[in-house]
Amino acid sequence: MSMLRLATWGWLAAVGVAGFGTFEMKYQVARVDDELGRVNRQIDADRDQLRVLSAEWSYLTQPARLDQLRQRHLALVPVSRAQLGSLDQIPFRSSEIAGSPLASAPPSPAPSLPSHAPVRLPGGADLASIKPGAAR
Amino acid sequence: MKPALDLDENPCRPRHFKPAPCGALPMEGPQKELLETGRTRLVLTGVLFALAFLLIGFRLVDLTVLKGGDTRLTHAHLRPHTEATRADIVDRNGVLLARTLESEALVAYPKLVDDAAAAARKLVAVLPDLNQQDVQAKLSSGRKYVRLKRQLTPEQQFAVNNLGIPGIKFETAGFRVYPKGALTSAVVGYIDGADNKGLAGIERGLDDELKTADDPVELSLDTRLQYILTEEMQAQIAAFNAQGGAGIIADANTGEIVALASLPSFDPNDMSGVNEQALFNRATLGTYEMGSVFKIFTTAMALDEHVTTLAGSYDATNPIHIGRFTIHDDHAKHRWLSVPEIFIYSSNIGSAKMAVDAGADRQRDFLGRLGLLAEPKVEIQEIGRPEWPSAWHLVNTMTIAFGHGISVSPLQMVTAVSAVVNGGVLHRATFLKHAEDYRPTGVRVLSRETSEDMRRLLRLVVERGTGKFGAAPGYLVGGKTGTAEKVDGRGYARKELLSSFIGVFPINEPRYVIMVSIDQPHPNGKSMGEATGGWVAAPAVSRIVQRMAPIVGIPPVDEDSPEIRRALLVDFAPSLGRKIAAD
Repeated sequence: MSMLRLATWGWLAAVGVAGFGTFEMKYQVARVDDELGRVNRQIDADRDQLRVLSAEWSYLTQPARLDQLRQRHLALVPVSRAQLGSLDQIPFRSSEIAGSPLASAPPSPAPSLPSHAPVRLPGGADLASIKPGAAR
Repeated sequence: MKPALDLDENPCRPRHFKPAPCGALPMEGPQKELLETGRTRLVLTGVLFALAFLLIGFRLVDLTVLKGGDTRLTHAHLRPHTEATRADIVDRNGVLLARTLESEALVAYPKLVDDAAAAARKLVAVLPDLNQQDVQAKLSSGRKYVRLKRQLTPEQQFAVNNLGIPGIKFETAGFRVYPKGALTSAVVGYIDGADNKGLAGIERGLDDELKTADDPVELSLDTRLQYILTEEMQAQIAAFNAQGGAGIIADANTGEIVALASLPSFDPNDMSGVNEQALFNRATLGTYEMGSVFKIFTTAMALDEHVTTLAGSYDATNPIHIGRFTIHDDHAKHRWLSVPEIFIYSSNIGSAKMAVDAGADRQRDFLGRLGLLAEPKVEIQEIGRPEWPSAWHLVNTMTIAFGHGISVSPLQMVTAVSAVVNGGVLHRATFLKHAEDYRPTGVRVLSRETSEDMRRLLRLVVERGTGKFGAAPGYLVGGKTGTAEKVDGRGYARKELLSSFIGVFPINEPRYVIMVSIDQPHPNGKSMGEATGGWVAAPAVSRIVQRMAPIVGIPPVDEDSPEIRRALLVDFAPSLGRKIAAD
């Protein structure tokens, strides 16, 4: 009889634990669900924001506008034919130089490529402050 | 119960098994029946419970083990399709060309507004760009519903909401933005914002797709090349004080249109005050007599049909008189011309004789195969119907040989020239980007050999003929000039020209066909009184090639290298009165 009673208590305890666990789980799920809803709304809001911002980006990167900004602030010009080449146009270093070619080869002068000094923006203006379409 | 147990004291029986008492039962009659019923019900209930638990167990296993790994969010992030929904349009590199954004519009129900004057004053206080009188008039108009302002910012919406004016409401509305503005409007088109209906370009042609698609529609356009084309055309239009122009850059091997410009253009973001001229798509809807660029087809036909060869020649000594027409040469040499010479000096007389040799039927058949006699089927609906004579007389054969008496659109020209130079396969023009691995099949319209000969001839035009200004140092450009007199009422207006150049690049292995047509250019100081295709359109193509080559990854070459010389060699000794072809 005592065996039976012990088993009963055991089961009762198990039921209690399971019940508590279930409720705890339920509330956890509810909390997580709230969080999910919040995050989803945030994602939606961010996504809307992204849609607006990427449209804005596309607007600000109109080629004509970039071209104007380039002319105003940079010394960059379109790539010309002289600046393009392939790897096989670069001659290999002559191996006739005695000894280890790496150790004894005289330092070759740097190839003279057209270069441009960094361009300082006039009046300390930064690119971000340039209004789109200001010069249009 | 004890006696029943005692009846069966089998030590081997399972511990919980209690055999049915089969011995003498203490109960008889109705009592026994009751017991039986109870037992049956008990078993039935037990079975039902067991089944229910099994079901729950299976479902648990199913949810946790079998579907447990599937962590996809059930929350649909795609916004529901509404009246205003419209997919994005992007270029071939994913650059955004059109998008519908949502914004809050400020609306009012005037009947619910108590004090229109006070409400108007308060609204203007937070929305300074509104006109107070205007708002007050709207609020006291007695109408059911008025719209006060579109596109509120969240801050403005918050401020208006704080005013707490009854009868003032917000409404979510979509509005279409075109970030690249006028640059891509010829292809992208525009919509009627009020009812989300495409009115031109892709917006019209793919209206239904745009309304239902979730993913952006990818066009074949390349915004960078579009800019280069537009800018160089604008430069020529300004330099020659022209009316406008049409330009196309097409992929010669797939039919994709990577740039298309019609100038003057319009800004789809602001359609107020846009005129018909700007809305008219000169590159696809406009059909024009193209002039000498048509000699590409005449020569290709003559070579492909074996009417003549590159060694053949025709007598271009005297103008042809036929009916009331006189066909003469603009760059007259007054002698026999070989087939390459006819092409590079753009001889009308020679081309006309070549076409007559081939005959009207073959000419019509050939032009038809190249898609020049029917409307092209593309994704936009602003497509011009080509015009050609219903009765194809001898004089028509002659004039069509040099591009008069037949009107086609620049889009058709580019498609047909692509087929002539790409090895002889015609690809349908398209404004949609092909998938990376898509290999268009196309239709063979002329032989590979003819195509190779034509490439050599086109190169020759740029090297020595009328298209010298189309040359781009370091890049192999081939092409053909064309200057057509525009039909002015009854006859041809000598001064109103359509000056074109069709360039092919690189000519030894064509990838792009570039066409520039400038409408009604006027000679300027530098052009020595000329406003022909060679002077007006060819320099634009030259600069376009030099600017686009690094972008599309075509390296410069040594034009004078022996391999290239050999590949593009044409043996054309000036014809000295040899009489090969029938007169």
